[in-house]
Amino acid sequence: MSSESSKKRKPKVIRSDGAPSEGKRSRSDAEQEGKYYSEEAEVDLRDPGRDYELYKYTCQELQRLMAEIQDLKSRGGKDAAVEIEDRRIQSCVHFMTLKKLNRLAHIRLKKGRDQTHEAKQKVDAYHLQLQNLLYEVMHLQKEITKCLEFKSKHEEIDLVSLEEFYKEAPPDISKAEVTMGDPHQQTLARLDWELEQRKRLAEKYRDSLSNKEQILKEIEVKKEYLSSLQPRLNSIMQASLPVQEYLSMPFDQAHKQYETARHLPPPLYVLFVQATAYGQACDKTLSVAIEGSVDEAKALFKPPEDSQDDESDSDAEEEQTSKRRRPTLGVQLDDKRKEMLKRHPLSVVLALRCKDDSVLQLTFYYLMNLNIVTVKAKVTTAMELITPISAGDLLSPDSVLSCLYPGDHGKKTPNAANQYQFDKVGILTFRDYVLELGHPYLWVQKLSGLHFPKEQPQHTVIADHSLSASHMEATMKLLKARVQSRLALHKQFASLEHGIVPVSSDCQYLYPAKVVSRLVKWVTIAPEDHMELHFTKDLVEAGLAGDHNLYYLALVERGTAKLQAAVVVNPGYPSIPPIFQLCLNWKGEKTNSNDDNIRAMESEVNVCYKELCGPRPGHQLLTNQLQRLCVLLDVYLETESHDDSVEGPREFPQEKMCLRLFRGPTRMKPFKYNHPQGFFSHR
Amino acid sequence: MDAPGPLGQVEVFQALRQLHMTIFSQSISPCGKFLAAGNNYGQIAIFSLSAALSSEAKEESKKPVVTFQAHDGAVYSMTSTDRHLLSAGDGEVKAWLWADILKKVKGCKELWRRQPPYRTSLEVPEINALLLVPKENALILAGGDCQLHTMDLETGTFTRALRGHTDYIHCLALRERSPEVLSGGEDGAVRLWDLRTAKEVQTIEVYKHEECSRPQNGRWIGCLATDSDWMVCGGGPALTLWHLRSSTPTTVFPMWAPQRHVTFYQDLILSAGQGPCANHWQLSGELKAQVPSSSPGLLSLSLNQQPAAPECKVLTAAGNSCRVDVFTNLGYRAFSLSF
Repeated sequence: MSSESSKKRKPKVIRSDGAPSEGKRSRSDAEQEGKYYSEEAEVDLRDPGRDYELYKYTCQELQRLMAEIQDLKSRGGKDAAVEIEDRRIQSCVHFMTLKKLNRLAHIRLKKGRDQTHEAKQKVDAYHLQLQNLLYEVMHLQKEITKCLEFKSKHEEIDLVSLEEFYKEAPPDISKAEVTMGDPHQQTLARLDWELEQRKRLAEKYRDSLSNKEQILKEIEVKKEYLSSLQPRLNSIMQASLPVQEYLSMPFDQAHKQYETARHLPPPLYVLFVQATAYGQACDKTLSVAIEGSVDEAKALFKPPEDSQDDESDSDAEEEQTSKRRRPTLGVQLDDKRKEMLKRHPLSVVLALRCKDDSVLQLTFYYLMNLNIVTVKAKVTTAMELITPISAGDLLSPDSVLSCLYPGDHGKKTPNAANQYQFDKVGILTFRDYVLELGHPYLWVQKLSGLHFPKEQPQHTVIADHSLSASHMEATMKLLKARVQSRLALHKQFASLEHGIVPVSSDCQYLYPAKVVSRLVKWVTIAPEDHMELHFTKDLVEAGLAGDHNLYYLALVERGTAKLQAAVVVNPGYPSIPPIFQLCLNWKGEKTNSNDDNIRAMESEVNVCYKELCGPRPGHQLLTNQLQRLCVLLDVYLETESHDDSVEGPREFPQEKMCLRLFRGPTRMKPFKYNHPQGFFSHR
Repeated sequence: MDAPGPLGQVEVFQALRQLHMTIFSQSISPCGKFLAAGNNYGQIAIFSLSAALSSEAKEESKKPVVTFQAHDGAVYSMTSTDRHLLSAGDGEVKAWLWADILKKVKGCKELWRRQPPYRTSLEVPEINALLLVPKENALILAGGDCQLHTMDLETGTFTRALRGHTDYIHCLALRERSPEVLSGGEDGAVRLWDLRTAKEVQTIEVYKHEECSRPQNGRWIGCLATDSDWMVCGGGPALTLWHLRSSTPTTVFPMWAPQRHVTFYQDLILSAGQGPCANHWQLSGELKAQVPSSSPGLLSLSLNQQPAAPECKVLTAAGNSCRVDVFTNLGYRAFSLSF
């Protein structure tokens, strides 16, 4: 750069080089020897400060000369032109000096710039170098870190621990001497061993895989063989059916029953299981069967519950829109009722055979929406029974099981939640549907494992086996006793209607040999009629005459005396005694309200019934009571004090042997018969 | 009509017993606050009159405070001394301490029991009436064996047996002044006995008098009451007021039903018997009031005149039921106590 500029300046410099400069500094000889004049070199030699002084001096001189010229010009004169010329020439010289100085300054500037530039360039180069180096350093550092962080894959492998390695690895791999000292070698050795092990295991795996394939194939073969057996077994079972029947081991039948039992709703299932168990274990006379259609039961589970909800929703909508169309509303309500009272298609049938071959058949139904179990009863006897008129209700399905346990009428649903359901569909009482659906007795619920505690109504009651088991035996015994007692009554009624009180031979000791009073009438009466009789008021008030009892009217006669007896038979007969209320028509009407002796007679029959129970199970109670009533009437009539004012013989001569005729403030007659002495005394 | 609650065997039996219960006798405690009632099953129940009559009486106040089995047979008659309750029924008389009974000691034990010497042994005769003779500290028993037995209360020995009746004795009454005992029996006669001489002084055969005899009912004398010169008796014959010295019937009360209990009260005669009411008679023979009761027939009336408890001054009536009617104002039945 500087060489180029010096080349450019060279011609100029040579031309003006001829004139020696006044007061200029002296050039160094070294410079003059050069072929060309380098002003750049001159710049280096001159001192800028002195050049600046020179410049200032020159400017001053110029100013002075200019001033003088002006002076001269203003004064004018002849010398002036020469002076002025002189001064002009001096000023020109000064201008030359100034120009030179200017050039020098420029050159100096340029030089300085060049130097700066150069230095800058150097600095830049260094800077660049530094950057490069730094960059390299960084790069290297990164590489180092990378190297340091490098995890070779071998570290991800879980190698066996060192001790194990040294133990297990064969010496040619472990190379203990080398590896102990050198961790790198050690790791290598360990990896080697790992590889070795893996290869061996892969081998094993392949072997076992092929083994497995083989075994699977064998299994397939055997399975096919077994499935081919199935039809053969079936045919054997079919063939064995007659053998089963012959040996009376109905396994097949039982099996089928269990199959159908699986479709039973839970309460019926509990009942079935418990009853079968009880029957097998304790009571051979009990047999259990399932009736109904299994397909329907299966079908019950098919339609999802949403559709039922939809139905009811749409029903509700229809109801609202069709408020004006009355017939459809009623029909819909009816349908809703039917839906609510729907029974499960399967039912459990229990057949209890009693000693005299009469069978009590109980059919248990499950009402799905109400979650209760109902029962229908039927009594069939070995021989055809001629039903006496008064015995109509004894074995009727409606009442034969009433009050098996005290207070269990079976007319109300035991599930408290049902009341709300009934309100929705307008059912007032369950009683109306009982004939059709069966009775929901409490013991039936207990046998099915359903427990409805009175205080807490629950939404979901689950069938419980233990509840059923705990009640099974007692209930079965009560059922049998009930059937037996009803049948006994049945037979007795047949005899009573003919006017004969059937007293069994082992109860004859309770009565004297001769009983004159006779039973002439035995009829059944309705509860309302019973309540209307004037001599039964106290019984009704004491709450002993409810709807569930059976009512009868007996008439005992002797001569002109007629004794009416209203009999209340509790369904729990014979554990609960029948209650008699008497009315005697003889010389006036005497009842317990106006004759103490009639009261005593009632007491003899009602309160002292325990001695009349007869041999267990006490079926003779009613007939014994009736017979005793006849004896009491005899005693009453015969011991009546004779009215001396009336003429004529006594209507009833005293034939009974009595120690005393009257006793106590109430003048009681001797109603107690003493056996075997045969006389009457007072209690 | 549905039976209230499940009627098991036990409940039915209890109900039947209640239905056939007869209360034969009553007795007021010496403090006047308690009433004892004896029934045909041999039980004695103690009712607290003061509790039942108080203003805070509840249903339980009308139930017995204590009930215990006193006799095997019926308790036909009871009376109280100032410390003891004496009860008699089937052949023996037992004494109980009122204090012990009221302590509700379970299984009340009698203080003592006595059986008068009976002639027959075939049947144990009942004791129908007890009479206290305070002046001699003696107790007179009469009943089925047709005799009056006197027992000394201190020693417990039977001092005398008065014979004369031909049939069993129903009732006794004491004529303070003499002292004489009147007894009425099944044979239709009222006999007066002098206690000191132990002899029959007077006999009135009621049935022989036409005004009062009612042969259809019989001749038995069921009840007796005496007020020194006067005596009222009833039973088979009509209820009649007699003048004792002259043995003449002065007033016949027109009551058809045989009366079982009669007593003098102030200027009235109270009687009760068959028929569900207590009758108030004036001495002239007019029926002043007939107060219905809850039992179909009444056997005993009791007037609580103990000076210690004037607030319990009530008339109680019991008979052919398990209830004792309480008449606070003699004119109507206030409430009934029940066994």
